[in-house]
Amino acid sequence: MLSPEAEAIRDEALAGVAAASDVAALASVDRTFLGKDGAVGQILASIKDAPPEKRKQLGQEANALKQVIGGAIEERREALRAEALVAERASDGFDPTLPGAPLQRGSLHPVTQVTRELQGIFSSMGYAILDGPEVELDDYNFEALNIPADHPAREMYDTFWCKGDANLLLRTHTSPVQIRALETLEPPFRAIAPGRCFRNETVDASHEHTFHQMEGLVVGEGITVGHLIGAMKTFLREVFRRDLEIRLRPGFFPFVEPGFELDVRCPFCAEKTPRGCSVCKRTTWIELCPCGMVHPRVLAFGGVDAEKYTGFAFGLGLSRLVMLRFGIDDIRHLMGADLRFLEQF
Amino acid sequence: MFLSYRWLQRHVDLTGVSAQEIAEDLTIHTAEVEGVEPFAPALSDVVVGHVVDRKPHPDADRLSVCTVDVGDDTPLNIVCGAPNVDAGQKVAVGRVGTVLPGNLKLKKAKIRGVESRGMICSERELELGDEHSGIWVLPDDAQVGVPVAQALGIDDWIIEIENKSLTHRPDLWGHRGIATEIAAIRGLELLPLDLTLPETAGGEPYPVRVESPGCPRYLGLPISGVRVERSPLWLRLLLIAAGQRPLDLLVDLSNFVMLDLGQPNHLFDAGRLSSEGILVRNARAGETMTTLDDVERTFTQNDMLIVSGDEPVAVAGVMGGEASKVAEGTTDLLLEVAAFDATTVRRTAQRLGLRTDASTRFEKTLDPTLPAKAAAHLVHTLRAIQPDVTLPRAMGDAGTWTDPACDVELRPERVRIVLGADVPDDEIERILTSLGFGVVRSASPWSVRVPSDRAAKDVGIEEDLIEEVGRMFGYGNIAERPLEGPLVPAPRDERRELVELLQNRLAGAARFHEALTHTFQFDALLQRLGAFDEAYLEVLNPQIDGCARIRRSILPSLLGVLEGNRRHSDDVRLFEIGKGYRPEDANERGEPREVHQLAIVWALPRPGKNARFDAGVMSRLQSVVDDLIRVARRSASGWRALDATDVPSWAHPGRSMANEFATVGVLDPGVKRELGLDGDLECDVAFAELSLDALLAADEAPHAYHPIPRFPSVKVDVAFSVPEAFAAGDAIAVVEAAGKGLVHSTEMFDLYRGDSVGAGKKSLALHVRLLASDRTLSDEDVARFVGRVERGIERAGGELRSE
Ligand SMILES: [Zn+2]
Repeated sequence: MLSPEAEAIRDEALAGVAAASDVAALASVDRTFLGKDGAVGQILASIKDAPPEKRKQLGQEANALKQVIGGAIEERREALRAEALVAERASDGFDPTLPGAPLQRGSLHPVTQVTRELQGIFSSMGYAILDGPEVELDDYNFEALNIPADHPAREMYDTFWCKGDANLLLRTHTSPVQIRALETLEPPFRAIAPGRCFRNETVDASHEHTFHQMEGLVVGEGITVGHLIGAMKTFLREVFRRDLEIRLRPGFFPFVEPGFELDVRCPFCAEKTPRGCSVCKRTTWIELCPCGMVHPRVLAFGGVDAEKYTGFAFGLGLSRLVMLRFGIDDIRHLMGADLRFLEQF
Repeated sequence: MFLSYRWLQRHVDLTGVSAQEIAEDLTIHTAEVEGVEPFAPALSDVVVGHVVDRKPHPDADRLSVCTVDVGDDTPLNIVCGAPNVDAGQKVAVGRVGTVLPGNLKLKKAKIRGVESRGMICSERELELGDEHSGIWVLPDDAQVGVPVAQALGIDDWIIEIENKSLTHRPDLWGHRGIATEIAAIRGLELLPLDLTLPETAGGEPYPVRVESPGCPRYLGLPISGVRVERSPLWLRLLLIAAGQRPLDLLVDLSNFVMLDLGQPNHLFDAGRLSSEGILVRNARAGETMTTLDDVERTFTQNDMLIVSGDEPVAVAGVMGGEASKVAEGTTDLLLEVAAFDATTVRRTAQRLGLRTDASTRFEKTLDPTLPAKAAAHLVHTLRAIQPDVTLPRAMGDAGTWTDPACDVELRPERVRIVLGADVPDDEIERILTSLGFGVVRSASPWSVRVPSDRAAKDVGIEEDLIEEVGRMFGYGNIAERPLEGPLVPAPRDERRELVELLQNRLAGAARFHEALTHTFQFDALLQRLGAFDEAYLEVLNPQIDGCARIRRSILPSLLGVLEGNRRHSDDVRLFEIGKGYRPEDANERGEPREVHQLAIVWALPRPGKNARFDAGVMSRLQSVVDDLIRVARRSASGWRALDATDVPSWAHPGRSMANEFATVGVLDPGVKRELGLDGDLECDVAFAELSLDALLAADEAPHAYHPIPRFPSVKVDVAFSVPEAFAAGDAIAVVEAAGKGLVHSTEMFDLYRGDSVGAGKKSLALHVRLLASDRTLSDEDVARFVGRVERGIERAGGELRSE
């Protein structure tokens, strides 16, 4: 049985608990009633001065109050936590259309991205990846490729010649790597060589004096035109992720015999009727890469027995492929180092 | 080169074969076709009209009012200004609505008060030549109301062939050669052509001498009794279709033979030549002659001239001379048909900047048996037009030429091996024979006779014959085959692997953008960067003046693009991996040393006053480079400051450092201004250059795993006040020494200069994490450590500020 005073304390405390609308208010109730100097605390403090017969009752009352009030506070605290969770889970003010906070990002050049993709495709088929110098010897860029001095084919390559050494030039194609490969690798082998090449052409939206190519070379016993067609189809299937019709037509490059131009059916207007679009200049074919069977003189220059071994070679227009892949309409962007371009990749 | 479809039909019957089909055939089997266009499309709209009546215009002396029947119910009233228009003529009439060349759409008009419903056209108005002194009068039998093209049987197509794809085919530079291909492709008969020279008058042949080694054969044939007149319509139309402007019969015939057989030739007015005849010799240095285009040319000893009485009369294989040209009144000709050396002609044409139809053909190395055939063809064609022409003297024929026709061995099984297709022996034989090769079948190898026009240039070995078979068999008929062979890993390329590692780290974690820049560097840029005086390889023929240098280092190129990028971006982070060339360090073959580099630039606005001491762009780039070296699994010794002798010219002389792999620094303030990075574009710029060569040359550092600690670590902060010259690295060394193996990591968190530290001094503060592998560290351990730090730093000339 509580005394009327104790009951008053209890009622006041419970009212305070009920009225506490947040954790701070509840803590204040806790202090006011259960703290050292709080109402219950004072009862406990009064015990030592009370007559002995009342001490027990006072002690019981204080404990009872502690329990009742403490329990109420705990209960209220739980309720407040639950309310807080509900509040936290509210979706007020949520706007999914607010853009995410900006993120500084980096990028790989589109030429790097496409080169890597092609390297992945070819190395999965056992092709080694080779590199060659951009400043080349005439011997490798022309002579060993069966384009001797005064050969009219030299005019097809608008060559940048170096000052001071008539044998030095900026390579006009990645084909000199063929010779370097023949000199160092033992047939049979398969290799590709991506890299930059140079031709002294007037620069405009579709011409750059610096561009990227990827040379391919496969040498072995019994390598045929059929293998060349197979290799090209496989690679195109991987790049465009579907079967594309190709055609080989005669093309003249002194380092191959027979030599071809490889055209691929334009993938950009495949679903259109009638076919033809701006990418293929309405012809439905895209000229993709010169290729052919390695000329026996080239094999011989590279120290390979041209009777025992045959081979095929191709020169993919990497810059062109990059432009096709991303729909880039101006080749100058590739070497432009403009962040507004680079950031898009 | 332009081909006329109708012209081709002079050599092969193309009934039922369209120009588009021919183009497709040539594309697949022979050469690249640029396009197929209708010839003079206006001729399909313009119709044949009959001038029924002509009256003078009532109000204009020079105009006529014509009544022209164009096959409709009512004749048209047309006002015409041509002096030669007359009643009874058949004329070419453009009606109201017809579109003439130049996109001129005819409308109903009133001319000086008289209504005109159309136009009677001149040849020039139809783009059929320069003739515009009067209207084009058509043959009397032309059928009224029918389009002119149809009525005259002159509708034609122009097929354009890409010249580059004929580089190796001298035989395809005329219509006959292309027709031979078409006949072979389609299995048609080539129509006969009389190429034997008619009999000439007897006696001494025309005197021709060849002194120059660049002329294997020279034919001189005198022709008499010619008249300079206009060419017949058929000839003019064919020439126009093939892209030539008709002039007069003789010039036109010369061009006709060239475009028909691919053999250039020249006609001199014999009356203007010396009676001594012709000499082919090299020019004397400084010798001059005015060419047909009315330009005086000066020659060198490498140029080959045609000389008469010691006067130059033509540049061999390039162009004739003005003084000896055929002109009005010419009656006697000397026809020159020759074989000239390709290189000699090409060099002269190139040097003179005079690429002509003739030189283009000679550059391909022409068949030396062709001149005699071409001479005959010209005479026959001329006689068909002017039957009374005579050949008053035997033809002069000089030179040391030999017939290039040769025999090449061909193994039919080799054809099948290289092509990867089962082409039967009979098919191989059929193809080669259709192309004019002579095949002697026997046990392998066969002997194949290569005709002179193919042997002159492109067919000399077995593979050449295989190509002939392959292209005619059709590459589309060869089945694809997968590569086969043992599965062995391809050799690894460590440099490429390193490049990919660095690219990934920079574009990923470090968030830089990969750029590609040109190999050429502008002189102006190098001057701004103070890097102009180094040794550069240069190209002889730069595209832009002042941009001939080939880069030694990548970095200047990236510095050059900073300003443009800074205009659009506050935070510019670029990198490029590429090659530089060092000519001073060439090998015995003359190849300059190739260096492989990574260049990085980073431009940022200057950090605010209250930013952390390491918020600066250089400090951040240094961390990027440290990380790259770590990712490359190499270990670098500490950074050392670069002094004036080894600091790059563009770098701040007191804010640049290096280790064995890399250089990191900030841009020199003067250079920064030179690059335009001031004013609105003001920023801090840090750069780094890593040598891939050095990274690859260094051993890989072992990547050791450290066990996760079993005992907790203790964090202690220490701050020192040290003299300004005291390096942070030395402070860290003191701390590590004091730790006696317990220092797990240190991190600098403050660098402060100010009143509370005192002049000439700075304060450095570090978080130090202590860790023992065998126990939990006690307060005593920490106190002993701090005590040792204090003594250590005092010995080094500083003092501990707090712990
Ligand atoms: Zn298309």
